[in-house]
Amino acid sequence: MTRPPPGPFVGPPGTGPVDESRKRVPRVLNIHVDHDRCVGNGMCLTFAPGVFAHNARRQSEVVDAEGDAVEDIIVAAENCPTAAIQLSDAATGEPYEV
Amino acid sequence: MPGTATLTDDLFAPGVIADPYGYFGALREIEPVHWNARFGLWLVTGYEELVWILRHNELFSSAVIKHVKGPPYPPVDERDLPLFDEIRDFRANQLVEQDRPEHLHQRGVVHGYFTPKAMERWRPFVRAAVAEILDGVRPNGSMDALTELAAPLPVRIIAEMMGVPYQDRDRLRAMADGILYINRGEPHRLRPLAEAVRGIVDYAAPLVEERLVEPGTDFISVLADGENRGVFSRRQVLVNTGLLLFAGHETTMNLICNGLLAFIRNPDQWERLQADPEGMARTATEECLRYDPPVKSTQRIASDDVEIAGQTIRRGQPLRWIMAAANRDPAVFSDPDSFDIGRQPNPHLSFGSGIHYCLGATLARIEGQEVFRGLAERFSGFELAADRIEYQPSLQFRSVKSLPVRWRA
Repeated sequence: MTRPPPGPFVGPPGTGPVDESRKRVPRVLNIHVDHDRCVGNGMCLTFAPGVFAHNARRQSEVVDAEGDAVEDIIVAAENCPTAAIQLSDAATGEPYEV
Repeated sequence: MPGTATLTDDLFAPGVIADPYGYFGALREIEPVHWNARFGLWLVTGYEELVWILRHNELFSSAVIKHVKGPPYPPVDERDLPLFDEIRDFRANQLVEQDRPEHLHQRGVVHGYFTPKAMERWRPFVRAAVAEILDGVRPNGSMDALTELAAPLPVRIIAEMMGVPYQDRDRLRAMADGILYINRGEPHRLRPLAEAVRGIVDYAAPLVEERLVEPGTDFISVLADGENRGVFSRRQVLVNTGLLLFAGHETTMNLICNGLLAFIRNPDQWERLQADPEGMARTATEECLRYDPPVKSTQRIASDDVEIAGQTIRRGQPLRWIMAAANRDPAVFSDPDSFDIGRQPNPHLSFGSGIHYCLGATLARIEGQEVFRGLAERFSGFELAADRIEYQPSLQFRSVKSLPVRWRA
């Protein structure tokens, strides 16, 4: 009987130990849009239209950091195709990784 | 137009295909928005002009195939012309050819699948696939980097994303290879292309049926969910499955081949990568994308009369934006013609900009990073095993016909 060759066992995406980095969701977020990365894809305006708007260069700007629910802002940041939106806990200043 | 008179207007001239940087770079310096009368389209080569256009999607439509009804170019066998309409329908229904509001609804269905965080979970799979391919070729001493590395890698990853059964991988690979004829010049090219297009539609149809009822975590399930939610028709689900197979294949192939070629021609940069493969892989991949981008240009159609760079683009006129030229605009990039794998910032336009920004950008980046890192970790250096490199006669893609390389034992 032949044995399969040894090698890394890579499961499907999402397989593995529970990601402990998921932290408690902050009550209020500081939101920063990195304009070196923002390409004006506009997805953040779709998910959190109360927070984000496009400036004259059609890059995203924060117009009201509390304009949408924290959960929606997190979804907006997660959906940025260039990871240009950085979040942190307004109370502690700690970065919130999406 | 003083100056442009000395430049050819034949965009398929051998010199333009071989060296798009010389030709479009010269055009950028003379007239960054230029009317090419021979092909009846505007050529946009300036960085700022290009970004402005891409971020004004309400002025420039992506529904190019629906609106431009010229014959295929380069010309094809006349008896194959009926196939052209079939292929046009296949392409016109794809997500990339839609405008808002439909584009936003359709992109909304698939966007979450491709976020940076979601794609990062694929890195271990990509790394393992790169290792398997490179360890397989290493004893041979040489390879055609196109057919042995750059072409099979992305198809392997797409097959996994589609959730295609293992025994069907070769069939999918054959269809993926057939779809590459979109970008070629052979007069008979519509036949293998139409066969591949029908092949992927027929192949995906029962998979879609299954996943409408019993969804999984694969990409076809994501598209099928779009049909369940009334965003996609069945035809759109099927053609967008074909889009993933093509868009994820041709582009990644070119990133790998054009990047490897840049390293061969710039041995000092290869040494830099080798000194720290993991640390340099990210900026090196960005520089490969900028320096010799997988996609040279893409099209739009003016939806209104627009003034830009002293020109007036009329509603209905097609334009081609040349990111290969914008990526070397000296107003944005210092020393733009040199290949510098530590370049930062590197705001290249190889994935476009605005609402149509490449959906697969993060995946392409991960594939590039893992390939260049994997090559640098395993091989001391490469040399070309051919006297010259030839390119497919395409305006859109920067695709080598083959890339024979060898290495020291």
